Amino acid sequence: MHELSMAEAIVETVLDVAEKNDAQEIVEVTIEVGELTMLNPEQVKFLLGVLAEDTLLEGAEIIIEEVPVEIKCRNCEFTGLANTDGSDHYLAIVLCPKCNERNVEILKGRECNVKTIKIEKSDENA
Amino acid sequence: MHKIAEVEVQHDIMVANRKLARKNQKMLDNNQVYSVDVVGAIGSGKTTLIEALIDAMDCNIGVIAGDVISKYDAGRFEKHEVPVVGLNTGKECHLDAHLVEHAFHDLPLGDIDLLFIENVGNLICPVDFELGSHMRMVVISVTEGDDTVEKHPLIFKDADLVVINKVDLADAVGADSDKMVNDVKQLNPDVQVIKTSLKTDKGFDEVMKAIEISISEN
Repeated sequence: MHELSMAEAIVETVLDVAEKNDAQEIVEVTIEVGELTMLNPEQVKFLLGVLAEDTLLEGAEIIIEEVPVEIKCRNCEFTGLANTDGSDHYLAIVLCPKCNERNVEILKGRECNVKTIKIEKSDENA
Repeated sequence: MHKIAEVEVQHDIMVANRKLARKNQKMLDNNQVYSVDVVGAIGSGKTTLIEALIDAMDCNIGVIAGDVISKYDAGRFEKHEVPVVGLNTGKECHLDAHLVEHAFHDLPLGDIDLLFIENVGNLICPVDFELGSHMRMVVISVTEGDDTVEKHPLIFKDADLVVINKVDLADAVGADSDKMVNDVKQLNPDVQVIKTSLKTDKGFDEVMKAIEISISEN
């Protein structure tokens, strides 16, 4: 399953960063998932919960931020957010919102980015 | 005492795969191997098309055969006496750059001119995973329904060559192959779309030529 391999890669990244920063616990993880990325955020969240068991990640809040689609039109050079009507986000890759041409390049909306983590660590200065 | 600290990570899992894919392509280039990632639904005719290309093309061909569990496709290619590595993904619905890199170690890259990488039969998950191939060929058939392109737009958006197969069966299954061609062109105006029937050989020479031209332009 696609979501499982992605969740495994996310957990590996998060635990690696947490350990390097001497975390005692991971409190929160923020992940950016592009609107065109072939991932179901709810499934990713569920699998992260399963994979987090008995690790520093257990119990952390998982925040998934959706990244909207940004395109560049090869015809009129419009660069910016694509048109999405919510029900069909693939519309974004079909038409330039400015000139209605079809030859558009996708600039954003295909990421799965571990953006930040919040960790609890001992306060050496306290 | 404890404190909460926010750590900037900015590690994109997709970018990590893309970096590996670029490494794969470099390895192929160093060995002068041109590679084609063949994606398409289960039963669209990917294996049969690759078999026909192995028999018809005048170059040294190798194959990576991606499958979820079986070695069935790898066994078919072995009968054509070409180097083959079967890649069992186990639980995964796609090949990724890491798996492909491992397969390279079991292939005589120095003796291969053209490498076909047959992806797992799926029009969804492979979209997210570049492998490092030079060309992505999407193979669909009319028997999957003439709304296949509309239902899976992203795989066609990135395609370098699209094959619409089994057109001899279009009437029997009530599919409009012209509509499928038009749907691809809506998403990817410059891509070459070829209608084929491997039973009647329709379009086969065109597919072979498209790959040969792409190799020569590389």
